Amino acid sequence: MNAPDRYERFVVPEGTKKVSYERDTKIINAASFIIEREEHTIGNIVRMQLHLDENVLFAGYKLPHPLQYKIIIRIHTTSQSSPMQAYNLAINDLDKELDHLRSAFEDEIANYSSTREY
Amino acid sequence: MEERSYQRKPVVKIREMKDDYMKFELRNTDASVANALRRVMIAEVPTVAIDLVEIEVNSSVLNDEFIAHRLGLIPLTSERAMSMRFSRDCDACDGDGQCEYCSVEFHLRAKCVVDQTLDVTSKDLLSSDHTVVPVDFNEIAGDETSEQKGVMIVKLRRGQELRLRAIARKGIGKDHAKWSPAATVTFMYEPEININEDMMARLSLEDKQSIVESSPTKVFDIDPTTQQVVVVDAEAYTYDDEVIKKLESMGKTGLIDIKAKEDSFIFTVETTGAVKASQLVLNAIEILKQKLDAVRLSDDTVEADDQFGELGAHMRGG
Ligand SMILES: [Zn+2]
Repeated sequence: MNAPDRYERFVVPEGTKKVSYERDTKIINAASFIIEREEHTIGNIVRMQLHLDENVLFAGYKLPHPLQYKIIIRIHTTSQSSPMQAYNLAINDLDKELDHLRSAFEDEIANYSSTREY
Repeated sequence: MEERSYQRKPVVKIREMKDDYMKFELRNTDASVANALRRVMIAEVPTVAIDLVEIEVNSSVLNDEFIAHRLGLIPLTSERAMSMRFSRDCDACDGDGQCEYCSVEFHLRAKCVVDQTLDVTSKDLLSSDHTVVPVDFNEIAGDETSEQKGVMIVKLRRGQELRLRAIARKGIGKDHAKWSPAATVTFMYEPEININEDMMARLSLEDKQSIVESSPTKVFDIDPTTQQVVVVDAEAYTYDDEVIKKLESMGKTGLIDIKAKEDSFIFTVETTGAVKASQLVLNAIEILKQKLDAVRLSDDTVEADDQFGELGAHMRGG
């Protein structure tokens, strides 16, 4: 009866920022990114991509509560980089990977279809 | 700033592809990407499904909401869904139908006037848009011979009638499972099985036989000519550890080593018929790209931090 509306899980409320950035007050080159209306799908790929970055000392994400529809990604980098740089790089790399995957998939569909009378 | 990049180049190999089913290998990426694709295919690739039902007459044995629920679950052809608008974002209408950008109208009229039971099925739903219609399962199965009649909605006896108007809208599985285009989407890690040939050669045929039989699925067999245990179907392995336990109990630990390759996955994708299986994968890639794009930092966030930057520089000692 008092359950939240289903769309609350994926529609960002008006006047709310999709991504907000919070610099750590105690540690240099550490910050949190609060992402509204996202969950494990985005959290986990971004975190794993950040782990490939040698300038990233720590990268993790959490879903604080199942009824709080946001995730928090925390990044700590070396002085060679910054959390923002690492975050942007991770997203760009994932985006390029998906571009590559799309064309590889399309090529493979064409290739598969041409080899049989599909 | 130097151009760093840690981008991977995934490789795809299709094993089998039909309209509503496909199996493919995905390599050169990690489980997070494989799982993101799986999750997006199930819950975030949009389709069109009936969302609003106005019942004019219903004298059937099923109540109005029961029928409305059944209508919602009927798969509709949704190739158009990716380019449609969600009703909640549509500024051309109030999301109450008649708007070609976000909704499709359906009508159903059925009345039984004979003694024989009348089956009301998805084929009785008349669409206002020929691109969005109930999925034809005969067409997918490729048999035009058997006279199958679509998805059963309700059965009417003499004198009973059903008349309604329905609005189908674009939506995603996260909102309600009726919008999910996926019947099944799974992936498995490709297993890598290594047999220590020297140790194996020293076993009796009986022991070899018991090793082969210890696996609940047919992963191993005995080569009839060499009498050696060989892997016949690595992918039949369900990561059940039975063979490993068997070897342990025989005191032959390490004779067979099985590990999951961390960058190779075998996907199985089956759709409801709303979109083709291959299209579902492509749509999932597109949606995941859109999601990534949506979580990019906005310029004002970066600017706000730049102003903070002087203090940051101070903290860094320069
Ligand atoms: Zn509209």
